[in-house]
Amino acid sequence: MQETQTTESPSIPSRSSTSTQDRSSAVGQTSSTSPQPSKPTPIIPPLVKPTGPGSGSGVRWMRRIIAEDAEWSLAIVPLLTELCIQHIVKNFQNNPILKQLLPEHQKKVLSHLSPDLPLAVTANLIDDESYWRRCCTQRWPVCHVDNHGGSWKRMFFELHLENLLKHFIPNTTDPAVILNMLPLCRNYVRALRVDQFLPPVQLPAPPRGGDQSDSGSEGEMEEPAMDHYQLDDLVAGLSHLEELDLVYGVKDCGMNFEWNLFLFTYRDCHSLAATVKACHTLKIFRLTRSKVDDDKARILIRSLLDHPALEELDLSHNLIGDRGARAAAKLLSHSRLRVLNLANNQVRAPGAHSLAHALGHNSNLISLNLRLNCIEDEGGQALAHALHTNKCLTTLHLGGNELSEPTATLMSQVLTINTTLTSINLSCNHIGLDGGKQLLEGMSDNKTLLEFDLRLSDIARESEYLIGQALCANREAARQRALNPSHFMSPVTAKGPENPVG
Amino acid sequence: MNPPGSLGVLEEKEEEHIATPILGPSIHSDNPQERIQARRLRIAARLEARRREALGEYLDGKKENEEDQSKSYKQKEESRLKLAKLLLCGTELVTNIQVATDTREIHRRVEEEEIKRQRLEKLENEVKTSQDKFDEITVKWEEGKQRRIPQELWEMLNAQQVHCAGLIEDKNKLISELQQELKIKDDQYVKDLKKQSDDICLLLERMEEQVKNVMKTFRQELQNIEKAFEVERQELLTSNKKKWERALQAHNAKELEYLMNRIKKVEDYEKQLNKQRVWDCEEYNTIKIKLEQDVQILEQQLQQMKATYQLNQEKLEYNFQVLKKRDEESTVIKSQQKRKINRLHDVLNNLRSKYNKQVKQFQEENQSLTSDYKRLVLQFKELQKAMRHFALIDDKQFREIWLMNEEEAKDLINRAFDVDRIIHTHHLGLPWMAPNFWFLKNVGPISQQQQKSATQILEEVLMEAEEEGADEDSSGSESYLDLPKQVSARTTRKILMLLCDESGFLIESKLLSLLLPLEKSECYLLRLDAIFSALGIENEDDLYKLVNFFLKYQTHHSPPSQEPLDLRAEKAGSLVDGKSQEKEPPPSPKLIHPNDVLKILEAFVMGLRKPKDSWVPVKLLKVVRDDSKDSEYWKALTTVIPATTLNLWDALYTALEKYHLVLTQRAELLIENSSLERQNTELQQLLQQYLDTKINSELQVPPTQVFRVPTK
Repeated sequence: MQETQTTESPSIPSRSSTSTQDRSSAVGQTSSTSPQPSKPTPIIPPLVKPTGPGSGSGVRWMRRIIAEDAEWSLAIVPLLTELCIQHIVKNFQNNPILKQLLPEHQKKVLSHLSPDLPLAVTANLIDDESYWRRCCTQRWPVCHVDNHGGSWKRMFFELHLENLLKHFIPNTTDPAVILNMLPLCRNYVRALRVDQFLPPVQLPAPPRGGDQSDSGSEGEMEEPAMDHYQLDDLVAGLSHLEELDLVYGVKDCGMNFEWNLFLFTYRDCHSLAATVKACHTLKIFRLTRSKVDDDKARILIRSLLDHPALEELDLSHNLIGDRGARAAAKLLSHSRLRVLNLANNQVRAPGAHSLAHALGHNSNLISLNLRLNCIEDEGGQALAHALHTNKCLTTLHLGGNELSEPTATLMSQVLTINTTLTSINLSCNHIGLDGGKQLLEGMSDNKTLLEFDLRLSDIARESEYLIGQALCANREAARQRALNPSHFMSPVTAKGPENPVG
Repeated sequence: MNPPGSLGVLEEKEEEHIATPILGPSIHSDNPQERIQARRLRIAARLEARRREALGEYLDGKKENEEDQSKSYKQKEESRLKLAKLLLCGTELVTNIQVATDTREIHRRVEEEEIKRQRLEKLENEVKTSQDKFDEITVKWEEGKQRRIPQELWEMLNAQQVHCAGLIEDKNKLISELQQELKIKDDQYVKDLKKQSDDICLLLERMEEQVKNVMKTFRQELQNIEKAFEVERQELLTSNKKKWERALQAHNAKELEYLMNRIKKVEDYEKQLNKQRVWDCEEYNTIKIKLEQDVQILEQQLQQMKATYQLNQEKLEYNFQVLKKRDEESTVIKSQQKRKINRLHDVLNNLRSKYNKQVKQFQEENQSLTSDYKRLVLQFKELQKAMRHFALIDDKQFREIWLMNEEEAKDLINRAFDVDRIIHTHHLGLPWMAPNFWFLKNVGPISQQQQKSATQILEEVLMEAEEEGADEDSSGSESYLDLPKQVSARTTRKILMLLCDESGFLIESKLLSLLLPLEKSECYLLRLDAIFSALGIENEDDLYKLVNFFLKYQTHHSPPSQEPLDLRAEKAGSLVDGKSQEKEPPPSPKLIHPNDVLKILEAFVMGLRKPKDSWVPVKLLKVVRDDSKDSEYWKALTTVIPATTLNLWDALYTALEKYHLVLTQRAELLIENSSLERQNTELQQLLQQYLDTKINSELQVPPTQVFRVPTK
């Protein structure tokens, strides 16, 4: 505190002077040795006074100069406004005065406020981005403000809330800790990305380390006690929530792995479903790596049917089977879902069938990800048939789905017909040489596809190379299309092709 | 199960591409092939990229030539392609790991499934067998219940125990097997973890290198682009600078020109302004002075007017006073005048009575005087008779004397003519003509019968008529000698008046207008004059003829009292004594109707043409002769030999005188000449004598030599 006082105090008097002198004073502060004898400005004397008690050597040094300064006089003291601002800053916690000040004074006050002030004081009072930026950078070394809509305040509150949720231990931590935050952050939080929910522990020990393993083994018997934090109260309070990214699991467990650390219970599922259903502003819902099986997926998806805002659903890295896929297919026709991600699940041919059926009549879905499933040729063919009629899907990921030549044949037909698809991924399949050739044939008629991933799919290198050529041509054409109707500057367009690549 | 962290990281897209993907030993047999395949693919892609780049460069160069594209654009395109390729390759490289992991995972899953299936089969078999065994055992337990014999039971129990132990052993074996598997799985898990960490490390390494590489290439390309831009910018700058300078120069020149123009204009305007100002000032001053003068004049006039006003006022007041006084005075005078009028009336009455008295007196006087006058007239008539008698006698005497003198004169004239003829014929040698003068034939006193013009007569007539108006009864026609005797002056006048009234058409309209202001008599005169000139009446006779014609006409058409022949005869007879018929009553002109006037006039005019000179009226000799003619006559007689002849005579006389003188001189000279001749001859003889003498030859210079002897 002493440190900040000293650093702040020299800058405050400089603020008192006019804006033109402000810069010169700032210069004088940083490199005051050379310009001072040459130009004895009236700003220097007030600099001296507050710095005087700060450091003895500086005082002596300054004094020596002042003695040479003919114009210096003791009469100049800091302005009253400066003193007032100083005082306001000092006592901000007890008596926050900000809105009543003039804009310029507000700026000064904000630039000198400590980021350690309690949130209850600052949350709804301060909107200044620079202050919240200081808060963020002080708390987290790495800050990607872009992930939070470019707003430092939003970022601060989101990260703060996520932090609280991450370290919440049910039955141990007081729920009030989170619920107290609610009135402070309800207006600023738009996304919640929680990648860890700790299970409850019987022991008062911290929820980490070797102690947990024992408790986990013990807690296996009492199932209902394994429920995680119930989000319903919190989410109901966040009026602007748009994104919910949850992982019911524990990070960094290392060798202390226990199965019940990763347990998404039915109660959790039911409460989450209710929470999601109640949150009408939600656009993106992600529930990954949380052992969501068919039943839980169905519970969740049933609650999401006819949701007014939902656009993206991500249930990747779960245990969803055909029934869950069928539920998702039902969701496709009962919502405005644009992105569906079921990567790394256990969807097989029947599930793919139902998805394909939904896809054939859908006009919202843009992206479908079925990576690392096992839909096999049967499902692949069904999807390819669906793509004959679909005019909306642009991205399709079928990597690692045990597909082979029959699917490739149908996909080549799709390629000739479809003009909306821009990206297809068929990597890690057993398409084979003939399939590659057929795909090449289909590709030769296509002018819209920009990406076609066929790595490790047993295709002849020649066909892969030729497909790459066609893709390059398509990309170039797309770039020209983007360039011509809107005459952007060349640097902008130069980046154009990078974006689809990324 | 895939560690989620690695997959999450895999989503990021940067990776180095220099380090070839050397993957660790894989559990799957086909993995290395795939690696090689991937590597080859990448190399091919890179080669392709290079080729494309070169092609692109070439194309770009072409494009530059064709479309005149800038270097920067070319560089940009190049860099873009290069970087796109780089990013694509890098992303591929990075995602290769994910794909590889995916494939591994798939293989693992397939194997796992196989193993699981086997395990399940095994377990089912085991369950079946164990169930069989267990059934066997339970059946045996039923059997054992039926056994009563302890040994048997013991045996059976033992056997049962053995069976159970076998069963348990089997189970234990299975359990241990499974536990073994589990351990292996644990080991596998650890291995997987290690593998995953290795993978992640590799991924990170690749990503880092990719990032480095990309950054390096980006920086390089950026530098290239910047360089190209710099070059282009320099070029542009220089060109623009040149353009700018040129434009600036032009601008400066124009500016200067404008400035000069402006300065000139400003000067002009200043001059004009000054001129205007000066002019305005002068004008202002003049106007001011004029106006001030005007003001002064007006003030003066005002003063004057005021003064005159004052004066007038005073005058008027004074006049008013005066008039008042006058009024008073006039009233007084009026009364006086009234009184005076009364008095004068009285006087007038007196005078009237006086006048009446006087009238009576004068009437009496008049009567006495008229009686005197009558008497005197009688006396005068008698005196006239006597005088006429004497006059006749005088005439006779005059005539006789005249004739006598004439004879005498004529004798003298004849003598003079004779002399003249002799002179002419003998001396001058000219034929002589006897002069034929009127007076030479004349015998008796000259009766000058010059005719009066019609106007004169008119005048007389009118005048006399007026005179006659006074005493009609005593209208003596004696005074009208010039008038025909039978026509009284009054009649003539009346006729003339009638004529004048009726034949106005003969007068020119112009003359009429001129006549208006004249007197009545004069007017008549001029009118008649005009009418006569129109009718062709020139002299007295014509006028008389006219009057007579009128009268004759009257007599012819009204009671034929007198015959025209008679009248003519009387006229002819009255040449000598005109008084004989004077008493003849003249036909009253009243009878002539005005309508007949024109007819008479017409007839008269017709008649006037024919008998113009039929009979010339003989004029009456006036009592008072004209002496002028007499003296002229006599003077003419004296000058019967004209002055030229007299002069001739004089000259002839002088010439003859001279001639006589010359002749006499000549006679003398002739005598002298003859004497001289005689002397000459004598002298010649003497000379001859001298010349012929010898002395001459003896002389040194003979006189013969000196002068030439006049040769004859």
